[in-house]
Amino acid sequence: MRGLNASKIVGLTAVLAVSVSLFIFVLMPTFYLISFTLTRWNEVYTDVFANPLIGDANWQQILRYLSFSLRLSLVAVALDFLFGIPLAYFLAYRQFPGKSLLEDIIMLSLVIPTSGFGVATLLTWTGVSGIGALIGRGVVEASYVVPLINVPLLMLLVHVALTFPYVVRTLQGKLEDMSPVFERASRTLGASALTTFRKIVFPLALPALFSGGVLAFARSLGETGATMVVASIHTTAPMAIVRWVSEFKLATAAFLGFLLIITATVAILLVDLLLQKRSIFRIPHWSLASKVGKRVLKVEKRLSGKPKWLKDIASLGAVFFVVILPIMVVVASVGVYWSTDPDTGRAQGSVIYQLFGPSNYFNTLMRATLTSVFVAVISTYIATCIAVPSVYMIKRYRAGRILRYILRVPLIVPSSALGLSVLLLWGPSGLSLTTPGIWLIILTHIVFSVPVVMEPTIAAYEGSGILSYEGVARTLGATPYDAIETVSLPILKRGILAGIILSFTRSLGETGATFLVMGSDVTVPPLVVNMVESLAIPAALFASAYLIALSLVLLMVFRIVVRK
Amino acid sequence: MPEVTLKNVSKAFANGRIVAVDKVDLHVMDREYFSLIGPSGCGKTTTLRMIAGLVEPDEGEVYIGERLVTDLPPEDRDIGYVFQQYALFPNMDVWDNVTYGPTVKAWEKKKREKIGREMLQMVRLYDRADAMPQELSGGMMQRVALSRALAAGAELLLLDEPLGALDAKIRNELRYEIRKLVKDLRLTAVHVTHDQAEAMAISDRIAVMRKGRILQVGTPYDLYMNPKQIFIANFIGESNFLEGKVNQIEDDRAQINLRGDLEVESSNLKVVKKGERAVLAVRPEAFEIAEKKQKLVNALAGVIERIRFEGTDIRYEIRLTNDDSIVVVRPSLGGKWFEETDKVTVGFSPEKSHLFKYPKKGLTAELELE
Repeated sequence: MRGLNASKIVGLTAVLAVSVSLFIFVLMPTFYLISFTLTRWNEVYTDVFANPLIGDANWQQILRYLSFSLRLSLVAVALDFLFGIPLAYFLAYRQFPGKSLLEDIIMLSLVIPTSGFGVATLLTWTGVSGIGALIGRGVVEASYVVPLINVPLLMLLVHVALTFPYVVRTLQGKLEDMSPVFERASRTLGASALTTFRKIVFPLALPALFSGGVLAFARSLGETGATMVVASIHTTAPMAIVRWVSEFKLATAAFLGFLLIITATVAILLVDLLLQKRSIFRIPHWSLASKVGKRVLKVEKRLSGKPKWLKDIASLGAVFFVVILPIMVVVASVGVYWSTDPDTGRAQGSVIYQLFGPSNYFNTLMRATLTSVFVAVISTYIATCIAVPSVYMIKRYRAGRILRYILRVPLIVPSSALGLSVLLLWGPSGLSLTTPGIWLIILTHIVFSVPVVMEPTIAAYEGSGILSYEGVARTLGATPYDAIETVSLPILKRGILAGIILSFTRSLGETGATFLVMGSDVTVPPLVVNMVESLAIPAALFASAYLIALSLVLLMVFRIVVRK
Repeated sequence: MPEVTLKNVSKAFANGRIVAVDKVDLHVMDREYFSLIGPSGCGKTTTLRMIAGLVEPDEGEVYIGERLVTDLPPEDRDIGYVFQQYALFPNMDVWDNVTYGPTVKAWEKKKREKIGREMLQMVRLYDRADAMPQELSGGMMQRVALSRALAAGAELLLLDEPLGALDAKIRNELRYEIRKLVKDLRLTAVHVTHDQAEAMAISDRIAVMRKGRILQVGTPYDLYMNPKQIFIANFIGESNFLEGKVNQIEDDRAQINLRGDLEVESSNLKVVKKGERAVLAVRPEAFEIAEKKQKLVNALAGVIERIRFEGTDIRYEIRLTNDDSIVVVRPSLGGKWFEETDKVTVGFSPEKSHLFKYPKKGLTAELELE
């Protein structure tokens, strides 16, 4: 055959090996719940809809939890927009000292260990050491529901904190990319700043806003770790999965997971495939009735002149209350609770007592840390080995585009659904590869770590003109693999390194999926959840602060690597 | 009826390290078509933006008409602005783009529609009113941009390299269209460009800028015939530069001794004293060529090294006996043609040359474009 030489065979083998790894380690676990539900449809159907004991009670429950989760997520995204849009504007157009710090804080929300953050929020709003310190009691009870919208306050706060970066960052990126000439043109034609926003900037940024909103929505829908901590009497859909697994109601849990994964996949496809970067929303030809139009313009003119800082303060304040304050509270509380319980004055309720006393949480914590680190290192390593060649494959072949979109699903899928998927696939009820424990955790973490390593690598690849450099190397006599090794990998190094750090951080903080597959090999984040459930609050505080500090340090390392 | 006046206007960027505009005084008369030209980075665009209000001056005052507008934002200055990249709003069709100004100024529907129609008919694009900008060619987009800028009735039109992104042929046609539009509507126009031929073709007056300062203001004729600096003699049209020393000065004539002891006579004295080093500027089109040993004024002997046929003109590169190299341009359809390696005599009339003092920093530095 023409051109079939050794190097081509090696190339094809490499592609095959990478594709198989991707399929086995990432795609299969992600979508297994779908195939499980479909292949075992009868079993699932009976359990959910036609249960001999309880009829379709399970289905009713699924509906209840799903609608609760949907409502919660919609409200969270609405708030994300309310505070996130001014924030994105602020970041895109202003330069000020501390701007990178603000961007770091926003990034922190994306990688912070969810259960630790849940503890921090819980304490801030319900405990006496949070805002309660100012008023002598907790601000609200853990179960407090916001009137009118009927959504638990704590859950809402946590979801907004964990999802607003998606809105802010996509919008900020779009605003920074957008040529400033359109705004300038609009101003020279007589439009005030607000009118310009309404008529020009907003329509042009709409695709970015929309995709940011969908990402935030999907993330909120799948949020498990922090939600579990602040839940009190409420239950979201991902939490239900965790509970049902522990009650061995696997089919029902699987069905709910199936529904959630479908929702996440559709969301991703919507965002990426339909909304290409260059699509422009055309404003339909409705113009406001003349008098109304005039008034709107006048109002916009007046508001444009008013001090802009009003809305900026509101957004910045939101970030403070929702992200910074809880972290400050948790760290401070460790100090407050350190040697004595401030409520009783006795040593029993103190951090030291719980860590080193009879319950000896310190031991447990150290063991869990070892487990966490081990898992993070191994899963990140394997994920990198799969991810880097995958990036090449994605960039070289046309089909790679679809693959890239599909590989974003593991990032958005509810973590508990992912855990269940892995459990059913590799665990005792499935292929029986291994039992719940450290190796199952590693297998689970690989699933989301591969996309996490891939994204910055792809970004580095796209930004660097690698293909032309490789071309140059080859005209000078290098074989394709020499070219990759000596030219491209060094260029990609930074992107890969960034991905590795992110993956490591994420693995350390992962809660929801790990919970289901860990067996007796506990990592730190689920340990925090356990501590809260056993009401060992001071120990939970310590562990949370510890986790958060760890992720802060890793984030700083990440920033240094990326900045250079 | 707007005139534009700038008094002592300055602007620096990067904490004062980059001085873009340096104490500029400018006066554009009412209904004048005024151009600001100069090499990249000379400050012309920044100056235009300060007139528009898109950039705030660090010091100085900006007047439009009698109004002090230095602190006014662009939307309150009643101007029309045309951008190099057209900046047609991609989310609106041509009609909505053109009527944008009237819309945000809350004009009544009837008035809006009337002006929209008039403007689009003026640029002959009324039949493309519901096209989206992406469907139009560059020239069409710029005409839409022009009509959009004028739709709200502004009497001052500011143009920022409006033809820069267009093909040469379109550029050459559109520039006359713009001038005609401006004159028909009795507007004042300030036009920024780096293309001196463009400015020369359509301006009433031109200001040449360099490194943040205005070097000379004048009509195209003034700048071409009487450049006050070497840079301008080079920037407007083309010039040959010959170095030499001034031997004698008599009234308004000077005898110059060029390199290699060639003697010529020039007029247009620019403050050069006897015995000083000088630079003589003669435009390529000012030379005459004749066969060897023919009698010409200011005759210099030389050999033709290279010929380029450029359509309208023939371009001769000639090496003189003193080893200086000059360019001579003659119309291709008038007069005799010469060949490479021909020995010829070139000559020029003293009135068609300019004498300058030899620049302190050297000739190359003086001619630098950046």
